[in-house]
Amino acid sequence: MGINSLQNYLSDTFKFFTSQTSIAPLVIFRIIFGLMMFLGTLRFWCNGWIDTLYVKPIHFFNYYGFEWVKPLSELGMYMVFLLLLVASLGIALGFFYRLASLLYFLLFTYVELIDITNYLNHYYFISLIAFLLCILPAHRSFSIDARRNPSLQLQTIPKIYILILKFQIGVVYFFAGIAKINYDWLFQAMPMSIWLQAKAHWPLIGSLFTEKWVAYSASWMACVFDLFVVFCLLSKRFRAPAYFILVVFHVITGIMFSIGMFPWIMILVTLLFFPPEFHQNIINLIQSKLKIKKAPQIIVNSLLLHGSKKKVLLSFFLLYVSFQILFPFRYLCYPEKLFWTEQGYRFSWRVMLIEKAGSATFFVTDSITGKRGEVDNSQFLTPTQEKMMATQPDLILQYAHIISQEVESRGLINPFINAEVYVTLNGSKSKLFIDPKVNLVELKDGWQPKNWILDF
Amino acid sequence: MVRFSFIVFSFSALLMYTSCGTDTVDSQPNFNDLFVNTSDNIIIPRYAKLQTEIINLSGALEAFDGTEMKLSNLQNQFIETYHAWQRVSVFQFGPAAEFSALLRENCNTFPANPILIEANISLENYSLDLPSNYESKGFSALDYLFFHAHNNELLIELSNPLRLAYAKDCVDDMRSRISGVVTSWDSYRTTFLAAEGNDRNSSLSLLFNQFLFDYEQIKRNKLALPSGFATQYGIPLDADTALVEGLYSKQSFALIATNLQALQNIYLGIGEDGIDGVGMYEKLKEYNAQSTVVEGDLAEAIQDQFEVCKTLIAGFSNDLPFEIQSNIAQIQLVSNEFQKMVPMLKNDMRSYLSVTVTLTDSDGD
Repeated sequence: MGINSLQNYLSDTFKFFTSQTSIAPLVIFRIIFGLMMFLGTLRFWCNGWIDTLYVKPIHFFNYYGFEWVKPLSELGMYMVFLLLLVASLGIALGFFYRLASLLYFLLFTYVELIDITNYLNHYYFISLIAFLLCILPAHRSFSIDARRNPSLQLQTIPKIYILILKFQIGVVYFFAGIAKINYDWLFQAMPMSIWLQAKAHWPLIGSLFTEKWVAYSASWMACVFDLFVVFCLLSKRFRAPAYFILVVFHVITGIMFSIGMFPWIMILVTLLFFPPEFHQNIINLIQSKLKIKKAPQIIVNSLLLHGSKKKVLLSFFLLYVSFQILFPFRYLCYPEKLFWTEQGYRFSWRVMLIEKAGSATFFVTDSITGKRGEVDNSQFLTPTQEKMMATQPDLILQYAHIISQEVESRGLINPFINAEVYVTLNGSKSKLFIDPKVNLVELKDGWQPKNWILDF
Repeated sequence: MVRFSFIVFSFSALLMYTSCGTDTVDSQPNFNDLFVNTSDNIIIPRYAKLQTEIINLSGALEAFDGTEMKLSNLQNQFIETYHAWQRVSVFQFGPAAEFSALLRENCNTFPANPILIEANISLENYSLDLPSNYESKGFSALDYLFFHAHNNELLIELSNPLRLAYAKDCVDDMRSRISGVVTSWDSYRTTFLAAEGNDRNSSLSLLFNQFLFDYEQIKRNKLALPSGFATQYGIPLDADTALVEGLYSKQSFALIATNLQALQNIYLGIGEDGIDGVGMYEKLKEYNAQSTVVEGDLAEAIQDQFEVCKTLIAGFSNDLPFEIQSNIAQIQLVSNEFQKMVPMLKNDMRSYLSVTVTLTDSDGD
């Protein structure tokens, strides 16, 4: 390929990304996202989780590199959630949208960064979408902002603004599908068998759940679904049946597992894949139902990308996309079995993939007197924190340092802290998880492989 | 296209098929038989038994006339009541956890604080309702009052009406709280049977978590703490025989044995009438649950471990404080065996019964 043809190719690609498309899908996406975040935050509040997750715990587990993120006081945490409620409405209504979306992204991410034991892929997804919404001009039609300032009104936007969201949604499904391509999932029907077994008492269909073939079909179907659903949604021909299957899939998982708002959010945000007319119809419907007057017609209504702004935006999106594609594969840099060591496990869309349980017993030894005792985990952690810590090596290490700080503050200097941790993965025999002789206080967390994790 | 539509159709038909029942039926495994057996044949009769014993203790205290025979009656009745308590200590949910009862704190905070007890008696100015008096009331306080010295000394002490009145106040306090719980269980039974599912307020979750908690109380507070195997906020503690339960009556091992047996009977579903009904054991069998800690059947593995622990506890010829001082290696061995049960309960049983620890959402697909 000559330089010229490469240039032509690139410029064609740029042209495609910057060519114009209706803003309607982005507007509906904004409204759906804002409303779902409002409901999600409200639900979080009503369930008392602000208190159980951010007020009650004495100690918090940090994300590597984000040790400086600390929770606020009780009042402060409630204020944060109040602001989240306001900001999510701001997003939905397109009211002070730039401020609202930035506030939502920052506060939501802040809350997630406080304690890693609350990590869910779905929260990561929301952080990413909120981040993208800060950049996208989702408020420039059918919004309070655009009504107050008609010069904001747009009818078309560059395609890339829709494509980047489709990409992000697609990544969730596709990588969840790739993650399922492993021996346990496909050829042992694990942990699907365990999960279905737990529902064996359901009337009528319960007995099906103990059947091996049901577990196998469910595993394979979930894998095929995750891998291909996005491509089907992208094609005009398969879109409707694929969306139908998607709804059925999420409804089933929503009923079977306690996964909160996630299925309902996914069902709604994937509407983005439908053509602009579909979204315009929804807007028209809302307008007529709520008797909202049509916005005054405007003359200039396309958002065109030019010059340096275009370059910056396109390179940024290129960087973003590359990161999203590469980061989930960082686990390849680590030896040993990923599901056992969980090195490079998070931020990679490994959703409902493994079943792990552990019990961790920590011992503190006074290096001077030789006195040794078992730690009462309930004096340090909430049951949820204890459960999450017991199967994740980096959290086991953090906990040892939490204990170490506590005993040093109480006058025991240079403690020796070791742990006996037994973990079962996908129903395997419980095995010693980390070297029980190693002094965890002397270890530091980092990107390098953790050689004190024992073999699976 | 036709072929694709067919595939899509059959795919969704299968998905619909596996999901169709779920809209209309209760989506949780059925633990109703377990709840009925546990409440009607275990919890309610055990509380009733405790109530009878505490009334008898009250009677024995009324009948105390300063003679050695009546003292001995009183002591025996106290021990009976103490053991009856061990059989309900696991049921600290529902009525027992109400603020008006708080049975565990009010009845069995140990060790007792003799200085506080003596101060209360001599100053005649105390409110047993205050949390600050947890360690000067309940079984541990009575254990002190009725056993801390030789009988002839105790007889002299108890000739002090103030001292006798204090003992009576302690018994009355427990009696009224226990009666309250017994009465409340009449109506709470319905709530207990109805709270299905596996969220944190479901009966399954309450029962399982309290079972685990009570077991860990034996392991830590009754055994590891006095033996010097435990820590306080991470600081390793010295052995301190004064921390045992039933210190003065020398009942430490006996109380542990009763407590353990009480848990095992719940696990097996054995009622107070001796009839073996549906317990967690039967549920695990139904699930064909496998242990990940030792090879084989989980229901049997837990049952075996109960037996190992019971045999070891029964194997001591002296009481716990003496064995801590003279036979610490054996205590360590017992402690290790108690520890082995923990992953069986925490990892295996919890996941088979699908009891949620996590109150929040889990990761979804």
